Amino acid sequence: MGDTPHLVLSGLAKTYPGADGAAVRGIDLTVERGRILAVLGPSGCGKSTTLRLIAGLVAPTAGRIEVDGRDLTDVPVHRRDMGVVFQSYALFPHLDVARNVAFGLEMRAVGKAEVKRRVGEALELVRLGHLAGRRIAQLSGGQQQRVALARALVVEPSVLLLDEPLSNLDARLRSTMQDEIGRIQRETGITTVFVTHDQQEALSMADSVAVMNEGRIEQTGTPQDIYERPARPFVARFVGRANMVEGTSRGRDGERTLVELPGLGKVPAAGDPVETGRPATVMLRPHRIALAAAAPESGGARGTVLSAAYAGETVAYRVRLGDDGPVLDVERPTGSEASHGPGAEVALSWDPEAPRLVADPS
Amino acid sequence: MTVRRTGRMPWAHRLGRAGWAAVLVALYLFLLAPILVVLVESFDDATYLRFPPQGFTFDAYGQVFANESFRLGIQVSGVTAAVTALLAMIAGVPAALALTRLRFRGRSAIEAAFLSPLLVPHIVLGLALLLILAPIPLTDTYWGLILAHLGVTVPYVVRTVSAALMSADPRAEEAARTLGASGFTAFRRITLPAIRSGLLSGGVIAFLLSFDETVISLFVSGQNTVPLPVAVLQYVEYRSDPSIASLSVLLVLLSVVVVVLVERGLGLRRSLRSG
Ligand SMILES: Nc1ncnc2c1ncn2[C@@H]1O[C@H](COP(=O)(O)OP(=O)(O)OP(=O)(O)O)[C@@H](O)[C@H]1O
Ligand SMILES: [Mg+2]
Repeated sequence: MGDTPHLVLSGLAKTYPGADGAAVRGIDLTVERGRILAVLGPSGCGKSTTLRLIAGLVAPTAGRIEVDGRDLTDVPVHRRDMGVVFQSYALFPHLDVARNVAFGLEMRAVGKAEVKRRVGEALELVRLGHLAGRRIAQLSGGQQQRVALARALVVEPSVLLLDEPLSNLDARLRSTMQDEIGRIQRETGITTVFVTHDQQEALSMADSVAVMNEGRIEQTGTPQDIYERPARPFVARFVGRANMVEGTSRGRDGERTLVELPGLGKVPAAGDPVETGRPATVMLRPHRIALAAAAPESGGARGTVLSAAYAGETVAYRVRLGDDGPVLDVERPTGSEASHGPGAEVALSWDPEAPRLVADPS
Repeated sequence: MTVRRTGRMPWAHRLGRAGWAAVLVALYLFLLAPILVVLVESFDDATYLRFPPQGFTFDAYGQVFANESFRLGIQVSGVTAAVTALLAMIAGVPAALALTRLRFRGRSAIEAAFLSPLLVPHIVLGLALLLILAPIPLTDTYWGLILAHLGVTVPYVVRTVSAALMSADPRAEEAARTLGASGFTAFRRITLPAIRSGLLSGGVIAFLLSFDETVISLFVSGQNTVPLPVAVLQYVEYRSDPSIASLSVLLVLLSVVVVVLVERGLGLRRSLRSG
């Protein structure tokens, strides 16, 4: 498992007839056998379209889709052998749970006894064995979601595609189902692509994440890459919260680039170097900034607390740097340290790994 | 506080319910009164229509079937309605499919054209059809009647079936295709069951509309093919006796029986599925 490319998209593009712009503008992606790829992006960025292109439900304007080295671009939907779980589940309302799950096997002309056995197994896998005879209308959202998953998995497709499978569930059920899908994916070892606009879901469930914006992939990488080393401002802002401070490059300092930032002076930042004198953008995650009551006349970055919002596990501060510098978001855990009220003078500090240079798209 | 409330609420509640029931009963009485009057009158033993009736007999029902023009009218209307319903479905279902599934140039214009007969007064339609059918010549024939009735029934079929198609989840059919069903199989196995009741009510509406059609039939029928409503009109022009009332009761019964059968059929199938 792993390391052998299983699903490969190259230059995949789609313009809907009559639409002013392209929904998907040339996507290159590789998913290794048995891995989970999350496609993460805001509403309308083309995630569903990408998934529908892979499934064969819409025809691409350009590009190729390959599975196991075989070109599937012109293969019709019903011969692609992909399991799809739709956002709305799309269960068959006139069939009971078992008949829903059996549908794909019936289409493959599997014998009656084997259908029964495999449907039973699939329902056990999603822990719904006891509801086989239920009608779809009599199921909760989470149960419907699991029927949809069982229906897609029972035919043992080569690739599993999930379109925001958890977005209709409440927060609690969602995290249960995240664990559940993770377990099922590990047990079946099926190559999986899932689409989501929830960054936490993408980071926690996927082996790799592709961040998508306006029909393009902005960055592909491991969850750590995406979160800690965003390649572009869009990725930094969309995945987690980020302070983006614009300044000017002042040359190298060993491994890092020195960036002159308003209200902060020269700050060493990791990431792709920027030529001396050129504008540079530095990202600082709010939870990586520490606050302390400012001792008079001490050096380093200083600021004034504008607001402090208590949110249970954390306090979210807004801090203005210097007298009229930029405003930073700072997030501190509650309980372990003193809190600061609005108007308090504070000193800001961070570990040297925290500031990162983020290239502009140009 | 809660205790006092629960003590009081049902009282106001019951009064409200009683008020509602009264309104409903009054409404039904208003709607059903004409039918009740006709029903009562159909058992009168007089040779003319009067209300209230004085005697009681089933003679009027016998007279309906003894009457040659009524018997012929039932035959003409029955055959016309059955063929019309069948053809309206054959034309209307694919039209509804195209209108709801396909995106093509002029789609909304075609949709409007399909539904426009619903807006045109029947007297205008009747006259137009007479002008078109007379030179062919198709007036006073079964086919002329059927053609004319198609004009008013197809729009209803298109509308009923479109509504059913629109409420069927297109994603379910897509899901079936990803599971290995060809486009046709996915439609037959997934969408067709979902729109079955829409199809059935489309056909039934077409049948009843055609069986009941009077104004257009008056224009395009003649001496040889006289549908029942026209035969009734011709009859009451010269006479009025309780057999007309009996015939009306029979027509109402026909509608009720058809609707109940369809409802039962659907309900039965549904409970079979879930059981
Ligand atoms: N059938 C269609 N015809 C025309 N345009 C479409 C069609 N489907 C989607 N689009 C457009 O293509 C773009 C991408 O849509 P898509 O559904 O792929 O977005 P998405 O990322 O899945 O969004 P969401 O998170 O809201 O589901 C949007 O601008 C949308 O309006
Ligand atoms: Mg979508």
